Amino acid sequence: MSARSLFIPLTLFLVLGFLIGPFLIIVAASFSGGETLAFPPQGFSLRWILKVFTVESFRASFGMSMFLAIGGTAAALMLGIPASYALSRYKLPGAEIVRTVVSAPIIVPGIIVGLALLRYIVVPFQVGITPALFLAHTALVLPYAVRVVSASLDNLRSDIEEAAVLLGSSRLGAFFRVVMPNIRGGILSAFILGFVTSFNQVPVSLFLSGPGVRTLPIDMIAYMEIVFDPSVAALSSLLAFLSIGIVFAAERFLGFSRYV
Amino acid sequence: MFQNRAEALALALPAAFFAAAVFLMPVAILLSDGFRNPVGGWTISAYTDFFADPLNRTVFLRTLRLGAIVTVVSAVLGYAAAFAIVNLEPGTKGKMTGLVVLPLMISPVARTYAWIVILGRTGIVNQALQLVGLTDAPLRILFSETAVFVGLLQLFLPLMIISLISALENMPKDAVPAARVLGANWFQVFWKVILPLTKEGLVIGGTLVFTGSLTAYITPAILGGSKVLMLETLLYQQVSVSNNFVSASVIAFILIVMSFAANILLKRVATARNKQRVPQ
Repeated sequence: MSARSLFIPLTLFLVLGFLIGPFLIIVAASFSGGETLAFPPQGFSLRWILKVFTVESFRASFGMSMFLAIGGTAAALMLGIPASYALSRYKLPGAEIVRTVVSAPIIVPGIIVGLALLRYIVVPFQVGITPALFLAHTALVLPYAVRVVSASLDNLRSDIEEAAVLLGSSRLGAFFRVVMPNIRGGILSAFILGFVTSFNQVPVSLFLSGPGVRTLPIDMIAYMEIVFDPSVAALSSLLAFLSIGIVFAAERFLGFSRYV
Repeated sequence: MFQNRAEALALALPAAFFAAAVFLMPVAILLSDGFRNPVGGWTISAYTDFFADPLNRTVFLRTLRLGAIVTVVSAVLGYAAAFAIVNLEPGTKGKMTGLVVLPLMISPVARTYAWIVILGRTGIVNQALQLVGLTDAPLRILFSETAVFVGLLQLFLPLMIISLISALENMPKDAVPAARVLGANWFQVFWKVILPLTKEGLVIGGTLVFTGSLTAYITPAILGGSKVLMLETLLYQQVSVSNNFVSASVIAFILIVMSFAANILLKRVATARNKQRVPQ
């Protein structure tokens, strides 16, 4: 083999090492028996993996993140599915404006969304921390919901629901009995994408989190600034395997990547 | 196509109203704050004040510089990796693409945290340097621009590789062999054949990497700290430490203008590419 034909595969190997290596190190460090975060790990134990479940603030913030990711995505879908349907099937006056407004939160950095919400909605209207985070996460996920659901609606021929209506079904009946079963995969994919986006999101929640109420990633950052033990590594590995598992299952059963 | 206007509006307006109330209006008010004159009327003095401060200028230029360096390095590594992946057997190609995408599913906090283990005082890099005797005392790599650069590169490189993979796959299969047969060396093949034919993919990947680096918060916060501020961490500091909302509004405006500009460019390139595809 010439030097040149080795060069490209070698670069690929190094790039993959650079991308995946840090994750493997985190996984290894989370099985450490030592007191501080280190690699190579000192000894082997499950104590840090087990400790994650006993840290009170992790449990609270995990619950909060799950609530925001599931509830916020569900709310975004409830707003986004009708809007996508109107955009894809109706002659909507001002369709471009609606599309832009709904998908704008994706372009603006999350930290700005969070700050704006805090100053002009949360403070003047005395909104609580949890509802404020819920609003922010819903707005954040809405663009993804509309994009993915619109894509699967556009891939579905519209004459089948027109046929259903002609054959005497109500518009609503046609939607639930004809359209919904056909875009189920798209909706589930939108849900998973929204869930992962919301769960991993940090900047939008920075200003909105309050004493004792924060999301898991923010809690992890706060913890690692004070304690230098492997429990954040353990928690990171657990979360990583969880999200890889979800996305892998979604790809396997839904063909996730077709929609995203 | 259904024609009923009232029905269409009833379906679309809740989402539009929600986004406008929760997102568009607050952000618009926030941005207008930076142009408001305390004694009435409008002014750009907040902007001249902002750029008059050397610290702000340093942070602004550092953000642009890091964004540019991360984009260029990810383009170089991205071409090599994408080129290698595209030329693999179909089965291995899928697996390798999967490995490139995998980090995107892991929380950015976890991915950034890993670099503390690697770059810290007792981290792997320092252990290795001391082992081979390049340095006696551990080097301070964390909380430096290098650390932030490495973190950002690892975070956004997959986006570049994926964009370049799809660009390389859309390239005519015989373009490279043809150029080789006609006597071009590998350097010429890249500059005269591969680069022009994958320009759009490069622009798309570059925009994603650049705006991502520009607006990253977690990486500069964890790996840079208050020593290596970028625009987002400066914004956070202005609000939470100094209570300076005018300065925060200025930074927000700068960030939004830059990411909008990048997104418009991206849209242009994407539509140009779609038009090109039609005749095929």
